[in-house]
Amino acid sequence: MSKVMTGIGGFFRSIGCFFRDFGEAVAKGDVFVKLSLVWMGAGYFKRKQYIKALLMTLFEVLILYYTFAFAMDYVPKFGTLGTVQQESVFNMETMQNEFNDYDHSFLILLFSLFSFVVWAIGIVVWLRNIIHVYELQKRAEKNLHINTFREDIAEYKNHKFHITLLTLPVLGILFFTVIPLLVLILVAFTNYDQQHMPPSALFTWTGLTNFKNLFGMGGMTITFGYAFGRILIWTLVWAFFATLTTYIGGILLSLLINSKKTKLPKMWRTLFVVTIAVPQFVSLLLVRNFFADNGIVNTICANIGLTGWLRDVGLIRTSYIPFLSAPGWAHVMIILINIWVGVPYQMLIATGVLMNIPSEQLESARIDGATPAQVFRHITMPYMLFVTGPALVTDFVKNINNFNVIYLLTESVFTTTNQALANSQAKEVDLLVTWLFRLTQDNYNYKMASAIGIMVFIICAIFTLFTFNKMIKGDREEAFR
Amino acid sequence: MKKKLIAALTAGAMAAMSLGMGASAEVQDVSLTVWGAEEDQAMLQEMINSFEEQYGEYANFTIQLGVESESTAKDTILTDIQAAADVFAFASDQLPDLVKAGALQSLDELDPAIQNYAGKSLDDIKNANVSGSVEAATYDGTMYAFPMSADNGFFLFYDSSVLSEEDVASWDSLLAAAEAAGKKVGMTLSSGWYNASFFYGAGFTTGLNDDGTTSIDWNGTSADGYTGVQVVQSMLGITGHGSFLSVADGDISNQIASGDLCAAVSGTWDATAAQKAFGDGYAATKLPTFTLNGEQVQQGSVAGFKLIGVNAYSQNAGWAALLAEWLTNEENQAIRFEQREIGPSNIAVSESSEVSENLAIAALAEQSAYGVVQSVGTNYWDPTATFGEMIAQGQLSADDEAGIQEALDTMVAGVTAPVE
Repeated sequence: MSKVMTGIGGFFRSIGCFFRDFGEAVAKGDVFVKLSLVWMGAGYFKRKQYIKALLMTLFEVLILYYTFAFAMDYVPKFGTLGTVQQESVFNMETMQNEFNDYDHSFLILLFSLFSFVVWAIGIVVWLRNIIHVYELQKRAEKNLHINTFREDIAEYKNHKFHITLLTLPVLGILFFTVIPLLVLILVAFTNYDQQHMPPSALFTWTGLTNFKNLFGMGGMTITFGYAFGRILIWTLVWAFFATLTTYIGGILLSLLINSKKTKLPKMWRTLFVVTIAVPQFVSLLLVRNFFADNGIVNTICANIGLTGWLRDVGLIRTSYIPFLSAPGWAHVMIILINIWVGVPYQMLIATGVLMNIPSEQLESARIDGATPAQVFRHITMPYMLFVTGPALVTDFVKNINNFNVIYLLTESVFTTTNQALANSQAKEVDLLVTWLFRLTQDNYNYKMASAIGIMVFIICAIFTLFTFNKMIKGDREEAFR
Repeated sequence: MKKKLIAALTAGAMAAMSLGMGASAEVQDVSLTVWGAEEDQAMLQEMINSFEEQYGEYANFTIQLGVESESTAKDTILTDIQAAADVFAFASDQLPDLVKAGALQSLDELDPAIQNYAGKSLDDIKNANVSGSVEAATYDGTMYAFPMSADNGFFLFYDSSVLSEEDVASWDSLLAAAEAAGKKVGMTLSSGWYNASFFYGAGFTTGLNDDGTTSIDWNGTSADGYTGVQVVQSMLGITGHGSFLSVADGDISNQIASGDLCAAVSGTWDATAAQKAFGDGYAATKLPTFTLNGEQVQQGSVAGFKLIGVNAYSQNAGWAALLAEWLTNEENQAIRFEQREIGPSNIAVSESSEVSENLAIAALAEQSAYGVVQSVGTNYWDPTATFGEMIAQGQLSADDEAGIQEALDTMVAGVTAPVE
């Protein structure tokens, strides 16, 4: 934990330094440095870096042009997300609709956010620019060499190469990950839903209303908080068991296949890998049909009398075994089916790791008379856990968001009989993500979906942060040896 | 990189803004896109060709055809209305959502344009189609789409080599005869589309309010004097019968194909499956009556239609409407039946001898007398599906009237919940 704190502290310290440098540059800079506050190319111009001066001027003009020609159409409306409702009149002459100049709430939200990012970049560049021209001034005062444009470029190929490499990925992350993520977060604070869908209707800010609803503090349905709690618990239970079972199963399977007594290990391994080669949704949909209420497994069970026996002992009340259509049954079946889908992956990973266990350790254990079970407990498992620990955490988070297995196995098969859940469009077998998906896809409830999305993010982030911090410590390897 | 992005975004925004503001010209170039079902593509292309021939003198048409199933049209359109097709086909139950999202062009507004070019008024079109289809295409007194077909409803398929016409008249005799033959009768209960049929039969209603909420009276007493509890008791009587098979939503065609059924409640989309399974015994009729409070009551149904609507954000709304009208006119509905056996909503076409000889469509027409245009909001579906499933699984007991009433009240609370 302390490492995180040092990291955060360092971050703020470097921001402080940055602004101190800027203040110093403004205070002590000459007239051209001060002029650079308004005309970004001024400082470079004075030091005869004409191309750089031109580029900075161009940058400034573009930012200003963007601001006044584009951003100003959207950003001023950011506070209300638009006020002018769309209206249209049909024109008989042109056979076309004529629209008023209406506001589009979503575009306002998106482009405002985009503008904020552009401006943030602009401000950082502007601040750095001042610091930089002040440094140039200092160099000039000391009669040191001032780089030509060509030399500047050359620097980006040599000791500033990391900047050249990272620019594109950073910009990519900014525009394709950070901005969409911020839009998603902002939507959680609006009333963007079926009643407020742009372009025909406007949506607006509603503060924390959605989160209040999510935690059952009044609002739309009384059962929303209840449904959220139920689904959250199942999500965590599912993620725990799904991760654990496939992990253990994969290790056991690879031990079995790698055992010297197993004949044709390559054939077995290939057979299991084939299940990966078949697209997951195909196999899952097939399995779903096998276990459907009137599917083949139920027919077999009915014929051999299993269904009748289960009914006699009171485990089921229906004329079929509700493998995937009753809570409890479905929960267990989903985890079991997931073992079958997930074990081959873990087997491959485990095989790789097991092959790297130092053979002298195994050898000496055997000489000391350790049983296979002891070897497994004291050497194989600790080694596995040490190497695959981080992957285990990722698996857990992946399972929290394991949309495929749950959705494909239960959609249009599982109908809940819990009315409280149904009133919030939820089912017992839903994960947070599948619930979120149906809220957006079937009910256009974008605002609640966003709120749930944020919750999922927080849960995953906290879990990952804590476990990684515990797991990845420098001295771990020594401790293991 | 950044500059390019800005430029691209600016261009994109301008394109978005200029949508629907296209300039008018003397000789119009009109480009339109049409979305229709995959299996209808070839037929639609023919209809588009004939449209271009018919109206070629007024404008230069460029009409593109795209694939979008009528059952999923709403989802795709509402994702981005401005990017959706100008003319699209959809199932009538999607109309309220589409109207509320502002995706559908009011046709009343375009009436003069239609009169001017097509030579018929909206009233002529309304009169030419069955009233149910016009009702389904109308929201709040405004017509929003042209009726294309009247085949989106359910009725009873049965095997006439097992069941007689008397047997299929009521659920009691139907289930008794099925039991005698060692077969089953299948119906989907875990869907508010199917299970509402019992309530509609007993005179209960559903409706859609202006604020998007659904109104429903199933926990009270119907106009015909039955209580919701009585209806549920009747349903439990049917589902509790050993020969009744409750089928998951969407699974009925598999069940028909399995050969275990001698009758099934489904629609024209399963006609081929039923024909194959029942062979020479293939027959279809209206839904049976059910015993309600000691009386025989005709089971109702949901009358569904396929409609063709015009995108409210279409650049050429007028011509889009004329194309939509063309695709749904009498001749093209006749072609639709000829090529794809799609039941027409046009009265003249449905009265033709070919159509009335089609067993499934005739049964649908027979049932349509008891059909209700179901207009509900999104909150309707999950609670009613759960309620149907509770009945199917026998979680409610016919003797426990208080329990049934409580379940009905909970369902009604869920359906009528505000959509905020």
